[in-house]
Amino acid sequence: MAKPDVPPGTLTLMVLRTVEAMGPLHGYGIARRIEQASGDRLALNQGTIYPALLNLEQRGWIKASWGLSENNRRARFYAITPAGRKRLAAEERRWRVASELILRFLTPPEGTR
Amino acid sequence: MSALRVILHRLRGAMRQRQLDDQLHDEIRGHLDMAADELVRQGLSREDAVLAARRRFGGVDQIREQCRETRGLPSVESFVRDVAYTIRLLKRTPGFAAIAVATLAIGIGATTAMFTLLNRALLQPLPVVEPGRLVSLNNSGESGMFPTFSHPTYRDIRDRTTVFAGLVGYRFAQLSVSHGGINERLWGFLVTGNYFEVLGVRARIGRTLVPADEEAAGGHPVTVVSYRFWQQRLGGRVDAIGRPLLVNGRSYTIVGVAPQGFFGTDVVAAPDLWFPLSMQPQIENAPSWLENRRAENLFVIGRLQDGVTLAQASAALAAAARRLAEEHPDVEGDTRFTLLRPGLMGSAMRTPVIGFASLLLAIAALVLLLACTNLANLLLARGADRRRELAVRASLGAGRGALVRQLLIETVLLAAAAGTAGLLLALWLTRLAGAIQLPIDIPVSVNLPLDWRVLLFNVLLALAAGFAFGLLPALQATRGNLFGALKEGAPSGHRHDRGWKKALIVVQVAVSLVLLVGGGLMLRALQRAGAIPLGFTPEGAAEVSIDLRLQGYSAGAGRAFQRELLERVRALPGVRDAALADMIPVDLHFSRTRVYPDTGVPRREGRAPVAMFNRVTAGYFEAMGTRLLEGRAFTEFDAEGSAPVAVINRAAARRLWPGERAIGRRLRLRGEDAPLIEVVGIAEDGKYAGLNETGMPMVYLPLLQSYSGSTTVVLRVAGHLPDAIARVQGEIRALDPAIPIASARTLEERLAVPLLPARVTAWILGVFGALSLLLAAVGLYGVMSYMVSTRTHEFGVRMAMGARAVDLLALVLKQGLALTAVGVGAGAAAAALLTRAMRALLFGVSPTDVPTYAAVIATLAAVSLLACLIPARRATRMDPLGALRMD
Repeated sequence: MAKPDVPPGTLTLMVLRTVEAMGPLHGYGIARRIEQASGDRLALNQGTIYPALLNLEQRGWIKASWGLSENNRRARFYAITPAGRKRLAAEERRWRVASELILRFLTPPEGTR
Repeated sequence: MSALRVILHRLRGAMRQRQLDDQLHDEIRGHLDMAADELVRQGLSREDAVLAARRRFGGVDQIREQCRETRGLPSVESFVRDVAYTIRLLKRTPGFAAIAVATLAIGIGATTAMFTLLNRALLQPLPVVEPGRLVSLNNSGESGMFPTFSHPTYRDIRDRTTVFAGLVGYRFAQLSVSHGGINERLWGFLVTGNYFEVLGVRARIGRTLVPADEEAAGGHPVTVVSYRFWQQRLGGRVDAIGRPLLVNGRSYTIVGVAPQGFFGTDVVAAPDLWFPLSMQPQIENAPSWLENRRAENLFVIGRLQDGVTLAQASAALAAAARRLAEEHPDVEGDTRFTLLRPGLMGSAMRTPVIGFASLLLAIAALVLLLACTNLANLLLARGADRRRELAVRASLGAGRGALVRQLLIETVLLAAAAGTAGLLLALWLTRLAGAIQLPIDIPVSVNLPLDWRVLLFNVLLALAAGFAFGLLPALQATRGNLFGALKEGAPSGHRHDRGWKKALIVVQVAVSLVLLVGGGLMLRALQRAGAIPLGFTPEGAAEVSIDLRLQGYSAGAGRAFQRELLERVRALPGVRDAALADMIPVDLHFSRTRVYPDTGVPRREGRAPVAMFNRVTAGYFEAMGTRLLEGRAFTEFDAEGSAPVAVINRAAARRLWPGERAIGRRLRLRGEDAPLIEVVGIAEDGKYAGLNETGMPMVYLPLLQSYSGSTTVVLRVAGHLPDAIARVQGEIRALDPAIPIASARTLEERLAVPLLPARVTAWILGVFGALSLLLAAVGLYGVMSYMVSTRTHEFGVRMAMGARAVDLLALVLKQGLALTAVGVGAGAAAAALLTRAMRALLFGVSPTDVPTYAAVIATLAAVSLLACLIPARRATRMDPLGALRMD
């Protein structure tokens, strides 16, 4: 079976969650982290996180600054802002509700089995 | 200037874009390096690692492009794509597009046309050097503001103050010009010698007038002609310079031609000839008033000295006024200077022109507001219809911003089309206005050019209308959960949406009330104007007027001419009564003077009352149809050498001798040392200078005892008036082929002049009022129908619970009429405020005339009742079970 694509609208959530959990992190680190978190089950074109990062930055949910990576490569490090945390909390709630709903919908009711 | 700034701004943006792009490039390279490093650590060769890292990254160029799109403003391409998409959409609904563009075009066109008028009157700079440094001097003493000064006052200010680089005086002059066998009545200027120099106007050919042309009184028979006159009358020939021109019976040498488009400093007037002020007695065929401090005849315009502010100039003038008051307490005691922007004959035309133009602009703005609310309504409805389409686009990844942008592009596109159409409409309207032959005898130039101000105004107006009234519907259409709209049968409207629609209806009802009340008031005013007791009977009477003074007739020759002319006119077939008069009503220029009764000024008057006066021959009251109440009219025997007599009107009698019989009393005109004149008759009151005046005293003197060269033939005719007018003109030409005829028309035509602004306003208000009523009714109908359709279920329940049809009818009507009531309340309040501006046009009708308001409110109520009744009936005809089953 082919790896599933990233569901629409979820990448930003993943990015936000990653920078919240890991602290300031560069793009490559974020992409790797997402892949690892999904158990490498996700077909992520690593490049696609850059438009997402830009978008988040524009909305003021993350901020970026140049720095050096662990093996001395120049990289931009992204960190979550307070507004980003607030947004993340809201998004999390929304997704929990939505996925729970879908799950309940997909699970056959008791007794019909 | 601003275009340059825009270009710079864009360049800077492009440079920054470049920088951000480079930054992204570095970031991606770092990313690839790190990925490769890791793969190398896992044991891949460097080459394989680099390839694998690239593979896992995806298309670098696509990513960069994607970032560029996210980062920048919408690129030109996507904008063009949106515009193309919008045009396709609009093509699919041509009816909507046509209605939206048409209504908005009417609003924008009307407003632009009115702005053109205001622009011409107030904003366009005069065609002189540095017009901004010119100021018009006005005398604002206790007795009101006058735009003119005497020549000695002018001279004193010019010579005693240092705040002006130059001060010019000028006066309009009526001219009778004979050239190439054509006799024309034209207008010209008498100007001080420094006029052209101070204004900075140079001759197109030849020379302008210079200070030397003022040296000897009556010694400089020279003239500068306008470019128009040079082209039309002199064939535009260079050898016109040095030629003679016969003006008011004298020969003047043409010394120069003014530049094209220069007609002096007053935008409304366009005279053709300029003469040195030293020729005043010759041009006016009157004694010189140049040394008379009481003859306040000159308009005065000054050019501020470099670095001098308005406040400094005013202070210097105040000091000058104090000194004048000390030196001439009797004449200049009341002189105060007020500086105004020149262009409208000082204060004379300023107030009426600004007032009328603002009124028209306000009306046009209301129409525009109406068109915009209508457009917003259309867009709201369309937005609701399109929620499904928008939902599809949203689900395909378009953000709300993109959707709003798309919808805004649509409105702005509509507004741009409407703006263009509106500009054409405005062009047509101003052409129309320019073609109107204004029935007045001042050479008005109704030339309304479209300049950059008008274009800018038009563009801004269209864009503002598009944005302001497109944004709200766009935000409404894209708000909330769009995906709900994808569900089958979901109600397409939104609750907020209805709120906005209701607000728009209220605005529409209010605006149409204001317009209708304005129109109603104007109709009442015209009605009243028709019923105003004029003090004469215009029907069946006509006038033909000439000016013997301008033709160089002496008093003796003039009397002989008048006698001969009157005899010939009386002998014409069909002429029942004929007479001569100095002036006839209604004429703005009627002469006024103070009247002193023989018994002394009545105590409650304080000062001698001001009265109009007129000089007329025997037969005048019959010819005008003015009733004589007491005593006798003039006869042929009230001539030179016999006892001086006067006929006065009832108002004069009451003012001069309150509660006493006036016949046999005597009065003096102008001063207490003037000769006594016996009152022999009392005539009915009338209107003389304007239809708005009330109880104005009038004194008639026999023309034979008090000669005037200005001569109007009044005739009352049994039969065809135009024929009679033509015959009178023929007799005048037979007596003197060189004399120009100033006016020849029926008295009813003459009366059209004072009523013109009121007629124009009434017409405009009437048309727009009716239009607005229609729009409001359609809007109300739409909202109520929609309300009924969305509450079908509720109505079903109510009916099932036993509500009768009448109850539902009442429910719906109550809602609709409540909206109308709010609109009526707001509109009535606004109307009460706004109609005050029309007071001058109302001929005494109160701006809060109750019958007008009552009639308009009743009309609005009836129309909205009708608009609600149809949806209401639909609600009552519903099958309750069917309605319940629908959901």
